[in-house]
Amino acid sequence: MLTKATTGRAKRPAKPITLVGVDVYIITEDGIPMFDDYGAFKIEFVSNRGTKVWPGYVSDDLMMVNWYRCRFMATRTVTDADVDTFLTALSKKWKWSAAQKLWNYGDEAGFSKAY
Amino acid sequence: MGKHVITMLPGEGTGPEICEAVRRIIDHSGVDITWEYEDIGLDCLDKYGTLLPEKTIKSIAKNKIAIKGPTTTPIGTGHKSANVTLRKMFDLYANVRPAKLIPVLKRPWDKIDILTFRENTEDSYAAIEHMVSNEVAQCLKVITWPGSVRIAEFAFKWAKANGRKKIQCVHKANIMKMTDGLFLEAFREVAKKYPEIEAGDIIVDNCSMQLVRNPAQFDCLVLPNLYGDILSDLCAGLVGGLGFAPGANIGDNCSIFEAVHGSAPKYAGMKKVNPSAVLLSGVMMLRWINEGAAADKIEKGMNKVLAEGKTLTYDAGGTASTDQYADAIIRAMDTV
Repeated sequence: MLTKATTGRAKRPAKPITLVGVDVYIITEDGIPMFDDYGAFKIEFVSNRGTKVWPGYVSDDLMMVNWYRCRFMATRTVTDADVDTFLTALSKKWKWSAAQKLWNYGDEAGFSKAY
Repeated sequence: MGKHVITMLPGEGTGPEICEAVRRIIDHSGVDITWEYEDIGLDCLDKYGTLLPEKTIKSIAKNKIAIKGPTTTPIGTGHKSANVTLRKMFDLYANVRPAKLIPVLKRPWDKIDILTFRENTEDSYAAIEHMVSNEVAQCLKVITWPGSVRIAEFAFKWAKANGRKKIQCVHKANIMKMTDGLFLEAFREVAKKYPEIEAGDIIVDNCSMQLVRNPAQFDCLVLPNLYGDILSDLCAGLVGGLGFAPGANIGDNCSIFEAVHGSAPKYAGMKKVNPSAVLLSGVMMLRWINEGAAADKIEKGMNKVLAEGKTLTYDAGGTASTDQYADAIIRAMDTV
């Protein structure tokens, strides 16, 4: 249905959207989380307060909190149903506060990298 | 090997010529420093494929202290800021920016001596951004309890050690009740341990207005990352602009001192830019490593040159080159 909300405002041209991964925000007191193989999704990095803490160099001094952004990238073409299956499997081991789908808009990533 | 081994990061654009002038002045102060020169910034891309080479990271990790010239961060494209990467990598959580009136620079105010303590690792600088639809972008503002407590602790300790009387927490907790609310709550909790220092808070928009109307009323400000970024530049503008604005990024075990201005690539190689901001960052660095006498000598020398007004760089109303200005400071240091 057309309403003022969809007709009376500036529009940004749409680009084709491709689902390429999921950011999952995990809460744990046990340090940097390490993950099992989830098939359609593979862990790419873990960040804490936006700073990458896996893989690679991490200062011994880095203060971490109990909330980790974990970026999982798709290993093949995936659908929303694959995300549902993945999150159900993840929930068996990990407590998470939120998940954010990662989309490409055309050729451009619609998500930032970690520092 | 000198008493102090310090990583020197000249940066790009005008950075190398500024840092060379600063190195000459600091060496003339008599402090025993071995400088370890390392690369950083856009010029590294072709050579190393990154703005921040591994060798540079290792040098900073080893020496625990660095001084840095300006670098440029590409806007809106792939590469992450080398500055922000360093702050995060080495957990340099306290950004300290003094804005002190240099007596000889004509300003509309008689007195400004403001210290800003900017939380340097959290807030909307956590780099958690998503395009959640083709028309909607979101950025997570991350404020944590331990991160807020430690910047407040740092500010109160610094204030106490340096005889400052008053600290205000700058926030927008009336609107962002969870994030800024947590930052303010942590500040108030820490303030209880320092009854000798007057603690208060002020909403960021009011603070901005008050800073330009009556800056003399402020002493120390503690701010989350984004407000700190903006208001510390405002404070720099009050006392003479970014050409005279030093900065320190301090963590529990590592510190990087840097000017806050850009690399001014259009002036690169012309040797005309003002090195004072990097020099004053060096002065902060010397005090941090307990070389206060050398720091005083440099600061007095610089103020003398500014007071004489004969050898000033273009931004301060003169025609002197970077090197001529540095030479004048070196000569003045021998007479103060």
